[in-house]
Amino acid sequence: MYVIKNGTLYTMDDAGVIQADLRVENGKITEIGAGLSTEGADVIDAAGKCVVPGFVDAHSHIGGLDDARHEDLNEITNPLTPELDARYGINPASEAFACAIRQGITTSCLAPGSANVVCGWVMAYKSAGKDRVLKSPAAMKAAMGINPKGCYSGKNMAPMTRMAIANIMRGYLRNVREYMEKKEKAGDDKDKLPPYDLGLEHGIPVLKKEIPLKVHSYMHDMMTLLEIAREFDIYVTVDHAQGASDFYEELQDPHVKGVIFGPSAAPLFPGEGGKLDPWCCKGLDDRGVPVAVMTDGPVSPVNMLLYEMGEAVRWGMDPVRALAMVTSNAARIVGVWDRVGSLAVGKDADIAIWDKLPSLAADAVLERVMIDGETVWEKNA
Amino acid sequence: MLIKNGRVHDGLGTVSVRDIRIGDGLIQTIGEDLSAAADEEVFDAAGMEILPGFVHALSSWGVNGSTTEIRPSSEDNSEKSNPITPELDAFYAFNGRAATAQQLGAFGLTSCGVAPADTNLFGGRIAAFTVDGVNPYKMCLKRDIGMMASVGGQLKRVYGERSMAPQTRMWIFTNFALQLKLAQDYKSPEELEKQAAEKAAAAGTPAPAAPPAKRDEKMEALREVVDGRLPLFVYCDDLAAIERVREIVSVYPKLRLVLVGGYGLTGEEDWLIRENIPLVVRQASCPLDKEEMALDMAAIAKLAEKGAQVILGGSHSAVFAPREDMLWSGAEMMRQLHDSEKVLSMLTSAPAKLLGIDGVTGSLREGLRADLVIWSADPMETYQAHIVRTYMGGEIIYREGDAMRCM
Repeated sequence: MYVIKNGTLYTMDDAGVIQADLRVENGKITEIGAGLSTEGADVIDAAGKCVVPGFVDAHSHIGGLDDARHEDLNEITNPLTPELDARYGINPASEAFACAIRQGITTSCLAPGSANVVCGWVMAYKSAGKDRVLKSPAAMKAAMGINPKGCYSGKNMAPMTRMAIANIMRGYLRNVREYMEKKEKAGDDKDKLPPYDLGLEHGIPVLKKEIPLKVHSYMHDMMTLLEIAREFDIYVTVDHAQGASDFYEELQDPHVKGVIFGPSAAPLFPGEGGKLDPWCCKGLDDRGVPVAVMTDGPVSPVNMLLYEMGEAVRWGMDPVRALAMVTSNAARIVGVWDRVGSLAVGKDADIAIWDKLPSLAADAVLERVMIDGETVWEKNA
Repeated sequence: MLIKNGRVHDGLGTVSVRDIRIGDGLIQTIGEDLSAAADEEVFDAAGMEILPGFVHALSSWGVNGSTTEIRPSSEDNSEKSNPITPELDAFYAFNGRAATAQQLGAFGLTSCGVAPADTNLFGGRIAAFTVDGVNPYKMCLKRDIGMMASVGGQLKRVYGERSMAPQTRMWIFTNFALQLKLAQDYKSPEELEKQAAEKAAAAGTPAPAAPPAKRDEKMEALREVVDGRLPLFVYCDDLAAIERVREIVSVYPKLRLVLVGGYGLTGEEDWLIRENIPLVVRQASCPLDKEEMALDMAAIAKLAEKGAQVILGGSHSAVFAPREDMLWSGAEMMRQLHDSEKVLSMLTSAPAKLLGIDGVTGSLREGLRADLVIWSADPMETYQAHIVRTYMGGEIIYREGDAMRCM
């Protein structure tokens, strides 16, 4: 048991920003308040420091794409691989997780890569600890646009176009719906059950709105996605989302569980990279659309969360709202809000201590990171 | 044009509230309480921060290629047909409109070095340009800045995967050393002719007919390197590579080495300081390359504090270099040094000096180009800093509220 004393707590929860102490017991936050008793407790002095929830990176591939020899999240042999599961592609020992911790990231939403139209299940995974799988499945990953198009055009396979992508995605969801209905109709009658299909099984929680379809989509692909989301009445997250500022009205849709913007680490280039609009974070947030940011690690470096927040702030976003994009909003969108994403009693003690507010000060330094209450990294330790 | 009351960061370490008069594209006067002439436009920058435009030392701005052309193609600064192309010149890779299309002024940049990519052992010459314009000749600030070389793993990927050399570091370092040695020994047809004439004159015999000497463009370019006329910029992706390069070039006393990358440095490489070797640090913009995760900013900061010449902004081969690269590299260094003027110099005056354009841009001094950015706050300190105006050569190329370009 220990108490973090006298810090400025960015709770990212109902309590807001408060000067208070925070007690950690058995890996959980058990008490928050001013002047907590430290009897029998270790003390971490956080006077003058910012105590923030560990960051949740809402879209990443770390541990699964470390280098050419460890390319385990893109199965580019079939544009429909819903039966696959990111859980099997992740190397828990990857040094990328240690890199993530050094940027304050305690949870990453690890998705298959975006080569396929329907790619497989997504997992929310902690950067360290004993029980690292936070949620599995957290989503079904899907992709639109140049990635599936580019990956299969050279193989003389569909999809070669965005037309085929829309068709394949819709066809899969239709098959899941039929499969699900057959299963429901069959009830306990095993003879009437449709033949077992793992790929379609994996789609059932999407159709039941238990998990979202997590979709790589830029610019006008977002509009196709919204049409499909409404048609099947499913939740979607709009991932990457460059060009979202063109569609503020449309994205205020109950099927959109959130927009996960980024990474911004690119110049303008024709096609999907033709509009880079980090100001959409503020635009979406102002309109009540849940918005998070991503590293897309290791496609861009794990320090990108800081810069995604920073650029949103440069374009006018309030720094605490920007912090929500990597804490409370991200946890809600990823579906792990019951466990992480804020400093509140009962939540996992995934906490980072910074010397300054990392969404505001360009020279903010991370001093300590806890996961499940254990200090997993300390500056100069 | 008079900019009044701004906090002027000169890029050389000094900050003071000053007025700046711009005329003929240059900074005419920096002073206190300058009074406006009758018809002079005045901009009140009270409460604002005036910084030199960033100088992106080794970039690929303006370079077209795979992501921007109608056909699949190589980047124009990456001639992947032969790993040894010192005779080439990145000047010819630069498309003014392609650079302008990126709207770099909105990100605080006003000039950039354009280098051959790190995909060749010897890639060719580096040139520097402004960031807004059309005609490369009008935009060019300097040519023949240096020779770009690379001993990084990219070579093995680009060539080795096509079953071409190099596939190994053995080939890379052997040929790095060999080409420099051959260049040192190389004599041009003119030199051979002169030599023969002198020999004949000494012997009192008539000059012989010109020998059938062949001009070797590659050797002529590398001779300039060995003779110290053209600094050698070498991209290295780990400490072993840095040490091999240092060892190989040490036998050429005139050769001026510039290290690019910074990967694997520990902060204990005091020889960089003693031997006055500039270090261009690359933002990890291609982190899928595992070696690039090994950039230790604390080590680089330690070297900087001991007096090493550190330049931030070396993402020259990255197709995906972000326009915010300078700001983010600055933030990485700020988290180490917490010295905004020192870090600013690494983004402005230090790269300008490296490229040999410090007499033209990269700091705020009278007589230099009026390449300056008016910020709402100090971008080295806070993300709330946004650009109010960017001047390049005295012209406004970005103004707060301008439409952001798309492609």
